[in-house]
Amino acid sequence: MITIARLYPDELTLYGEIGNIKALTYALDQKNIKYKVIDIDKEDKIEWNKYDLIYLGSGRENYLKEIQKRLLPYKDELLNYIESEKILLVTGNAISIFSFLDLYEVKRYDERIVSDVEATSSLCKGIIKGFQNTEYLLDGSNHVIFNIEKGIGNNKTKLEGFTYKNFYATTMIGPILARNDNLNNYFIELLTK
Amino acid sequence: MHLKTLSIIVGKLTLIAGKILKRGSSLPGMLSLAVNPHILNKLTYPKIKLFVTGSSGKGSTAKLIAKTLKDNGYSVCFNDMGSNLKRGVVTTCIKNCNLRGKIKKDILVLEVDERYVKEMYKAIKPNYLIVTNLTKDQPPRQYNIDIILKEIETNIPKETKIITTMDEPYLRNFELDLPNKNIYFSVDKNKYSYKKQIFENLNTYYCPKCGKRLTYDYYNFETLGKYSCLECDLKWNKPEIIGTELSLEEGTIKIGEQVLSIGGDMLFNAYNTLASYTFLKELDIEEENIIKSINTHNHNKNIEFVKKDKLYKALNCKAENATTYNACVFKVYLDPDLKDVIIGWKEISRRYDHYDISWLYDVEFELLNNDTLNKVYAVGIDKENIKKRLLLANIPEEKIITANTLDEIKEDIIKSKSQKVYGILNFDYMDPFTNTFKEDKE
Repeated sequence: MITIARLYPDELTLYGEIGNIKALTYALDQKNIKYKVIDIDKEDKIEWNKYDLIYLGSGRENYLKEIQKRLLPYKDELLNYIESEKILLVTGNAISIFSFLDLYEVKRYDERIVSDVEATSSLCKGIIKGFQNTEYLLDGSNHVIFNIEKGIGNNKTKLEGFTYKNFYATTMIGPILARNDNLNNYFIELLTK
Repeated sequence: MHLKTLSIIVGKLTLIAGKILKRGSSLPGMLSLAVNPHILNKLTYPKIKLFVTGSSGKGSTAKLIAKTLKDNGYSVCFNDMGSNLKRGVVTTCIKNCNLRGKIKKDILVLEVDERYVKEMYKAIKPNYLIVTNLTKDQPPRQYNIDIILKEIETNIPKETKIITTMDEPYLRNFELDLPNKNIYFSVDKNKYSYKKQIFENLNTYYCPKCGKRLTYDYYNFETLGKYSCLECDLKWNKPEIIGTELSLEEGTIKIGEQVLSIGGDMLFNAYNTLASYTFLKELDIEEENIIKSINTHNHNKNIEFVKKDKLYKALNCKAENATTYNACVFKVYLDPDLKDVIIGWKEISRRYDHYDISWLYDVEFELLNNDTLNKVYAVGIDKENIKKRLLLANIPEEKIITANTLDEIKEDIIKSKSQKVYGILNFDYMDPFTNTFKEDKE
């Protein structure tokens, strides 16, 4: 059975983030693959070895800081989780939470970045459409996910996102998987390997 | 000539020109501001000044207040025609002042955009501020409610009394952050209240004071309800003004023994009416007269009609505002009869070119997924995105029909076995809905 964990869904709830989970579970239903979705709230214990995919979406600034503080003691567990090639998907400004892993750096901008996005990626064929509404961008051009045709990439370049093993971070918000079947299918294949 | 006088004259001449050309706009305010950017600081205002702001409902709340005040003998300066941005406010003030800049009215009532109140507090110093609500709204423009809360709090004079509902824990932030006096009102537990939360993706799950999870005795809608924090002393406190025995079918709520019309059959109509009532009670007007006026003006604004034994009902939503859509979905959810539902809009935003549909996933379309749903029609430019959202709400694909226009589905709807048709529509689809289904083109 596949286990999907939504980390702090009652705090990271800015932009229809739940759409990504719905897109994944809908596709799994279509394929008759069994799964369960676990919501992990701030009062809950995190059992890293039990999840196949962990998802975090955008949140308000004070929540992002609180969550980063909450996750700091789990740095080793998180890195082990990533090294063991389990999936960690992070969208929107939630990318800022994981700067403490030292896998990438983020840069905070005074002027919020708001833009439609059209991109391509080696993860899947076709165009990926999304939206950015964030004060954070990734700072670096290694291990990127997307080539941006329209939108604002890492450090305001045309390359966006960060990936290492099955850790995927992008500034695109909300229901990016619901909007893009091609990208959703990539994650479904990864989950069902 | 003094810059202040020149600014007023320029504004007034532009108003006259607009009248001749039959064009109303906020151009007069814009030109006045161009002559004197500080014109609002130079005017003399009435003794009583009210700002009405919030994510939605500020226009209808301010309008009801202005009408009730006029009924009760007050002269009112109100920006009903101008915009709610700064230039619109200046247009209204210039229209109502003399050449010396004195606004010769008893009361100033201003509906103000929530991003702009901070620019006007210092000049106008409102005695009262109504915040109708703070919800998810136009994310590309507003970002999130913490930003809006801060903007409303910035520059607010400490003498300004803040009127909000007690039922929304997030609005208690004003009380926690500011020294201002807060005046609260509430919609009592009613027959539509529920015990277990039925909406997801809400703004507030945690106590604004200590951050622990809030518990609820009941919910009226989304995060509105009777809440308490088990960790600290923050809890719902019974306010002086409480509306009881809400009846959405009748469009009424009771204040003590008196029946108050809420002007519609949606819960937010009750909240907006009570906000108006709470302010009016602060003035020296007899309670009976307030209720009489409100009941005169607050007639039912629902758009519904019966055609060939079928009830058509249009529910007005605001695209990019998930709460208004949730209110409409909740309305449909409460109706136990078989129905067809139409969802659509012409455009998501008139303000900007961004194409953000994330808010669709904050709407609880899952509540439509039950046996009382006959068919759901996704209509207009975003029909495929709406369909996708409905599919992910697990609504069976055979129940979802897409169409480019309302005309395309007219025949289907007329022939449908359901006796009710709900439109969950952006305001730009309200008239097309009526035009399509009410008018006979036979």
